[in-house]
Parts: sequence; C-alpha cells; structure tokens
Amino acid sequence: MSDAVVGIVANPLSGRDIRRLVARATVFPTTEKAGMVLRLLAALGAAGVRQALVATDLGGISATVARGLTWRGGTTWPEVAFLDGEPVTQTAADTTAAVRRMVAQGARVVVCLGGDGTARVAAEACGDVPLLPLSTGTNNTYARMTEATVAGLAAALVATGAVPAAAATTRSPLLRVRCGEASASALVDVAVSTTRHRGARAVWDPAGLTELFCTFAEPGAIGLSSIPALVAPCPRTSPDGVAVRLGRPARTVVLAPLAPGLVLPVEVADLRPLRPGRPVTVATRAGVVAVDGERELEFGPDDEVTVVLDPAGPHCIDVGTVLSVAARDGLLSSTPDPQEEPR
Amino acid sequence: MSDTLAPPPTKGLDADGLLAAYTTMRTIRAFEERVHEEFASGDIPGFVHLYAGEEASAAGVCAHLDVRDSIASTHRGHGHCIAKGVDPVAMMAEIYGKLEGSCRGKGGSMHIADLSKGMLGANGIVGGGPPLICGTALAAKLQGTGGIGVAFFGDGASNQGTTLEALNLATVWNLPAVFVAENNGYAETTSSTWSVASDNIADRAAAFGMPGVIVDGFDFFAVYEAAGEAVARAREGGGPTLIEMKFTRYYGHFEGDQQTYRGDEVAQARASLDCLLRFRDQVTSAGQLTAAQLDQVDAEVAALIDEAVAKAKGGTAPTEADLLTDVYISY
Repeated sequence: MSDAVVGIVANPLSGRDIRRLVARATVFPTTEKAGMVLRLLAALGAAGVRQALVATDLGGISATVARGLTWRGGTTWPEVAFLDGEPVTQTAADTTAAVRRMVAQGARVVVCLGGDGTARVAAEACGDVPLLPLSTGTNNTYARMTEATVAGLAAALVATGAVPAAAATTRSPLLRVRCGEASASALVDVAVSTTRHRGARAVWDPAGLTELFCTFAEPGAIGLSSIPALVAPCPRTSPDGVAVRLGRPARTVVLAPLAPGLVLPVEVADLRPLRPGRPVTVATRAGVVAVDGERELEFGPDDEVTVVLDPAGPHCIDVGTVLSVAARDGLLSSTPDPQEEPR
Repeated sequence: MSDTLAPPPTKGLDADGLLAAYTTMRTIRAFEERVHEEFASGDIPGFVHLYAGEEASAAGVCAHLDVRDSIASTHRGHGHCIAKGVDPVAMMAEIYGKLEGSCRGKGGSMHIADLSKGMLGANGIVGGGPPLICGTALAAKLQGTGGIGVAFFGDGASNQGTTLEALNLATVWNLPAVFVAENNGYAETTSSTWSVASDNIADRAAAFGMPGVIVDGFDFFAVYEAAGEAVARAREGGGPTLIEMKFTRYYGHFEGDQQTYRGDEVAQARASLDCLLRFRDQVTSAGQLTAAQLDQVDAEVAALIDEAVAKAKGGTAPTEADLLTDVYISY
C-alpha cells in the first residue's frame, strides 16, 4: 500500500438546470453521481491508493457514498475520509473549500464530478495538483465522458507516482474576465449577452449574444464553442484561443449544437485569434457575462469588461494517456508465478 | 444609465411587468410580516403558516398565469393566493374569521380559496394539491380552454403518495400541468436532507418521464424564466414539468414554532439572498426601474395592509345562524 492520497469532489447541483426543460438535456441524478464516486473508490483501492478524501454535500451524494461503503462485496476500498465539519453553503464555494482542503491534506490528484462549470471552480482551487474532471453536467466540452472506474485507475496511477504527472497531464489555459471589482474565469468559453439578468443562469438562446471568447474550439464539441469550431477550428493544443463577434452584419451563419437537444443557426460577424496574455475589452455596453455557459456577471455602461487568455491554467490528467503509459510499461499487468495455484 | 442606451427588455417583462412582479412580492412580504405581528396579539384564531422568504416562487410562477389557469396551494398558502389575484383585504378578513372574508370566515388561513380567481384553495392536507391539479388540467385539456394547472407543494408533500401518483398521472394523460416543489428545507421540523431520498425532488421527475429542474427560489428572474418555459410547454401540449425551488422560509413551520431544529440560515438568507433585496438591486442597477418607483410600491402596499388589518378587525363576526350556510350543496 502506497501513501497516495486522492481527493474527490462531486457537484450535487450539476446537470439540473433549465436545459432539462428547454433542451431535453441529460439528467444526472444524485444516485448516479454517488455510484460514480463508489466506482472511482473501487478503482483507487484496487490500484493501491491509501486514502481518498471525499467532499461532503447536502445534495445526498456523500450520504449515499457513506451508505455504499458499508457493503464491501469483494471490493477493496481505500481508507475514505469525508471532509465534513465545515458549513455547506450549497454554492460553488463548497467546491472551492473542499478542493483547498484536499490540497492541504496532501492529495496528489483531485477528481471532480460536474460540468465545465464545476471543473472551472475546482481548477481555480487545485493549484499545481493534477485535476481529473469527469462529466456529470450538461455541456461536456472540457470535462470528458469517461467511465469512472477507468478514470479511477488513471488517478491512482498518477497519485501513486507509477505514471509521472509530467507525462500524463497537459496544462489547460483559462480565460480570465474582469468586470470592475468582480472577476470570473472559464475553461472553455466566455460569452457576452445583452440579456439583463443572470436569471436561470444557463445560456441556451443565441438571441442577445454579442461576443464570444474560447480557449479552444474543437468540432465535435457541444455548447458555445461549437460556433467557432464549425467555421474555424482551434485545437486544445493551440496556444491561441479564438474571439468571435456575433450578430450582424453576418459573415457566416453557423448551425451550432448549443446545448444537448438544441441545434440553432447563429450569425457570426467576425472571427479572429485570441493571443495569450493580451487583454481584450468587451465592446458590449451592458448585459451579462457567461462563463462556460452560465451567466455569472451583470454589468452596465459604466463597467469596463476585459477578457484575457491565461496559458497557466490547471494541470489536467488525460486518462487515455495515463493508461497508454501503463500498458507500455506493464504497470497493471504481471507475470503469474508458475508455482501458484491457478486463480 | 446613458440616454443613448435603451435597456433591452427582460424576456417578456417590460417596466409594468417588473413593477407588477415587485408589487406582488412586496404585498406577500408585508402581508406575512403583519400577520406575524398581529398573531402575537392573540386576535387571530387557529394556526398560521407564513410564506415570507418564498415570495419569488409564487410571483415568478403566477406572472405567467391568467384567468384560464388554476393553482392548488398548501397550508402555507397566503403567497399563492396573493400572486393569483385574491384580494388581500378579503384574505385578511378570512384569517380573522370574519364574514367579509374570502370564504365568509369559515376557512381561515389554511383554507383560503377563490375559485373566481382560479385559486382552488390553501390546503391543510399535505400532498392534497397535486391530484386536484390533475383534475383541473384534465378539464382544461378536454375542454380545450388553453388553461393549465399549477400545483405548489412542499418537500414534505414530495414524499406523499398523492404527489407521486399525480406526477405519474400527469405524464400518462400528458396534462397541461406544472408541479412546483417549494423545498424550504423542512417538512414541519424534519430536514429534507434527511427525509427526501436522493435529496433533490427534481431528480424524481425523470422516473415519471418529465423534465425536472432545480431553481434558485430566492431569484425572481431565475424562477420567472424557468416557469415561463414550463408554462409555455404545458400550454403547447408538451406535457407536465417539475420545478424544484430551493430556499428558506423566514418563520417557523407555524407561528409559535420555537425552531430548535435549525441554525442561523434565516438571518443569512435575509441578509444576502432575500428575493426583494435582490430584485431591487437587479432592476435598479440594470436601469429598468428606479428606487423611487419601488419605494412608492412599498408605501402603497403598506397602506393596503393597514387597511386590510383595520377592516378585518372591524369586520362582522359570524353568528350561529351562519354556521351551516355554504357548507352543504344539493346536486
């Protein structure tokens, strides 16, 4: 048994917003999130992780996990420590606080379950500790859909040092938004809209969208980044992002998958590269700024809003890469002892 | 706010609509705060359950409803009544048990109804409302009125068989209905995080084949948007929706509840989450309404509530002869 520690945080509110209603998006019930955490723990235990730090919540996930751990059923659980004892606010601040505690308690990998919004919050809190985002949200552009068991193996291989973090992670850029005193960040996209209020948070209606900034834009993605992705793709590996002006005079009309179940024409006026480190001032005079598809900051004509592409975002674990290294180096295989009874 | 920049409208809400929404929320708040005060004096018979803190839910949902639509309420029904257009003066008289009340003083706080407004009644039966709404929604569908039914219910009612049966029936009959789960954290004194398996009421919608959405119940605009989509879907024949509001009630389960089961969440909510404070901040900073306009609403509402209480106290007490009137009906 190693001394490896892995942190796990799951957002109880991801995959629940209005897009279930307006766009028939996937529902991610609490029971499935808890099931994913248990499958992660099973893989961590099997691959020799000593301790898992699991965030607590009032959404029923940690309670269901605690119940699930009472039955072993042939599984080797790691030692599980629930990070309780702090007030739960049922906001993004809970994810921030939990990830900070994990880092302080020596987590070598942080696994977060949620959408792109949850990954962004975890990314801001995890510093240089590698992050493994698993999608349980609506727009799954940054956080990938991966079976939790396999993700757990990858997390264990990195946490135990069997696969060096440097070989298994890539550094993702972040978009940083400043609006007067307020600030926000995004892993995938920042959108500006003339809509006045944060309202139901999600962005699903292209009417009112004026500007869009993306860290990357890959065809095959869902959400706002699909707009530039289908005209001028910009891979994750590119140091540049992309800046888009939407509306008229339209140069192109893109039929974009803006949310699960929602494919709509979007008018694109202008597209240009977004260079790292060079702040861009938003031209729209009043409205809201959405980060990774969620309306976050309201601003008026007196507020200057700037967006900058920061290359120094989180170190993100690529599950496929980790397991390829494991295969190459035989980390999960062994030669049976011929003297031993067949199993 | 610059002259050259006309604020874009909030979807479907112009300045009049915003003022109406604020008036509804302020009327509910002032009504409840006043009932809280007056109840302590002992003049109000029976129990009262106050809706303060939850105003954005009733106001944000009912802003999309009209005379064709009906709502079913809960024991915590004053807010739903006001938002659906029941006269606050008659409501106050009802709470005081006077003949001038909405139900001639026979219902009291927990049974205020006004069928002419599509308000089927506050309801002392936990989980009593959702099946009623299946009935009115079926009637609206069969008669082709274009109307819909909205059932408000709490986290306690979410665990009742009646509610789960109604959710099933609404999908099976593809009813024009919206189910609004007002999760204020406690069924009387029992925490919903203990009593609601899966914790999110909205999670249950998937099992009944309908969309389930969680909304910040303190944010009028979040409620308004989600309810607008659900109401439109129902009217267009798209079927039922379950919306879960998450918020905190500002008072106990009933007036007199010592609330030993909860901490300081009310003080925190009042300070930083309150729907009226947030609405004021949002619409004034967006330049949609001025503080003076909102202050004027506050003053008008305060005068209305004073009038309601004065009339209720000076109202006519029922006599023995009134005991059996409006109780039985011959078919």
